Amino acid sequence: MLKIENINVSYGEVQVLHNVSLDVEEGEIVALIGANAAGKTTTIKTISGLLKPTAGKITFNGTNIAGLSTSKIVELGIVQVPEGRLLFPEMSVLENLELGAYTPQARKVRHETIKTVFQLFPILEKRSQQLAGSLSGGEQQMCALGRGLMAKPKLLMVDETSLGLSPIMAKTVFESIKQINKTVGMTILLVEQNVHWSLRLAGRCFVLENGKVVLNGPSKELKENPHLQKAYLGM
Amino acid sequence: MEFLKQRGKSFPMVAFFAVMIILSFIIKNGFYQHIFILTLFYAGMSSAWNIVGGYAGQLSLGHAAYMGIGAYTATLLYLKMGVSPWIGIIAAIIIAAAVSALISYPSFKLHGTFFAMSTLAFGEVMRIIANYWRGLTNGSVGLSIPFKPSLAHLMFEERVGYVYFAMIFLAVVLVISSRIKESRAGYYLNAIRENEIAARSLGINTSLYKLYASVISASLAAVGGVFYAFYILYIDPSGLMDSAISIQFTLMAIIGGLGTLWGPVVGAILIIPLSEFMRAWLGGVGQGLHLVIYGLIMVVVVIVSPGGLINGYKVIIRKIKKIKA
Repeated sequence: MLKIENINVSYGEVQVLHNVSLDVEEGEIVALIGANAAGKTTTIKTISGLLKPTAGKITFNGTNIAGLSTSKIVELGIVQVPEGRLLFPEMSVLENLELGAYTPQARKVRHETIKTVFQLFPILEKRSQQLAGSLSGGEQQMCALGRGLMAKPKLLMVDETSLGLSPIMAKTVFESIKQINKTVGMTILLVEQNVHWSLRLAGRCFVLENGKVVLNGPSKELKENPHLQKAYLGM
Repeated sequence: MEFLKQRGKSFPMVAFFAVMIILSFIIKNGFYQHIFILTLFYAGMSSAWNIVGGYAGQLSLGHAAYMGIGAYTATLLYLKMGVSPWIGIIAAIIIAAAVSALISYPSFKLHGTFFAMSTLAFGEVMRIIANYWRGLTNGSVGLSIPFKPSLAHLMFEERVGYVYFAMIFLAVVLVISSRIKESRAGYYLNAIRENEIAARSLGINTSLYKLYASVISASLAAVGGVFYAFYILYIDPSGLMDSAISIQFTLMAIIGGLGTLWGPVVGAILIIPLSEFMRAWLGGVGQGLHLVIYGLIMVVVVIVSPGGLINGYKVIIRKIKKIKA
């Protein structure tokens, strides 16, 4: 579904990604894991069009999307739930969700999508008239996920969803991501520092270090990998 | 969007203009009429600025340039070719819209302070052009319009004619503003103001909506410029396109309530009469004192009610409702 081949990405003079390749197939959860400054966020910012690769190819369902504008890429069906949630704090939860349905196709079916979102996250229905800024961290994350779903994506990219959440809240959010994948059949690209959860949720993982993919494969196999165990799981 | 309650929305607008019309009958003194006209005019200009500065959150400090473009376009057409200022208004809108589209494209790539500085530079460049393009604008000597009162010339024997014209200008700006605010585009602009990256990541075409806000805002400011020229009957670059004037549009909106429909109007109603009265009363004794008081108001508002006077009022209403409930 999504295929990235040997992309290089730079911020000005500094090259951050070196020959990064990864792929995501329809219906699966794929995790992109790595430490701070490994290039995870850069990778998905490049996929969603906020950054342009200097070399390499990104194709989505056969279309080359490298260099397209963000709004075009969203139209094609790739939506990012950005790191730090980035809700519109002075707008209500409902308004935040509605803003997610930007493309004409998504706008047409937004009433049904909102119902699905409320089924996944009943708390959002309760809070729908509240200002998004007044929600707790976990609720805000749910609102951000819900807003992402409102765009009717084919691929949902979730950046650092557990950032700043208590372990219990993080668990709830991770479980809801699994729920989204199961009930709606949503393809998800998860970007995480929490390696434990990533290995549990995702079928396959890519490990980024210093802007390079150093490991990849099915989560079950990676769990046994000595480098991963030592560097990320403290074993 | 369906959750918007449409009912009762136009009531404040109708009530406000009813009061303004009543005032226009009460105020007969020439000095007070002048203040009244200036207040309506600045309320309109600040509301026009608010579309790009408030709704879209792009702090433009060059709006006097659009006012200047409007004033010079209509004045030159009138003086050199005898074109009625009514047609001049249309020409002013077209030119201001084109200039703002041209200037927005590169400057919207900048963010925050850098955007504000680029608009400040744009305003100054336009003023300097007006100053040195003597063949067209008569430079710093300025252009004066001979007073030939008639509706076709947009000049009125009685000052009250200008009162009504300023009122219509403000009404048009407010109606367009409220339409934008309540439209889907208004929500997108709001999203852009709150968090541009988040808005982009949702697929909102942020450049397009910012451009839209900027073009509408500039066009309305140009209409204000035409009015100004045919009221004062004299235009010159420093009186019309000084950056201090741009900043005044901005300050009124900030004091009243940035990004709210009525904020700029409230700001103008407070600031204009105050500074005009003080200028008249203090006169030679306290030269520049009105600016000190102006500054004090700004400081007090920012500390006490950072969202502007309108938001302070909303907070009080909310508290009263809580006590009642």
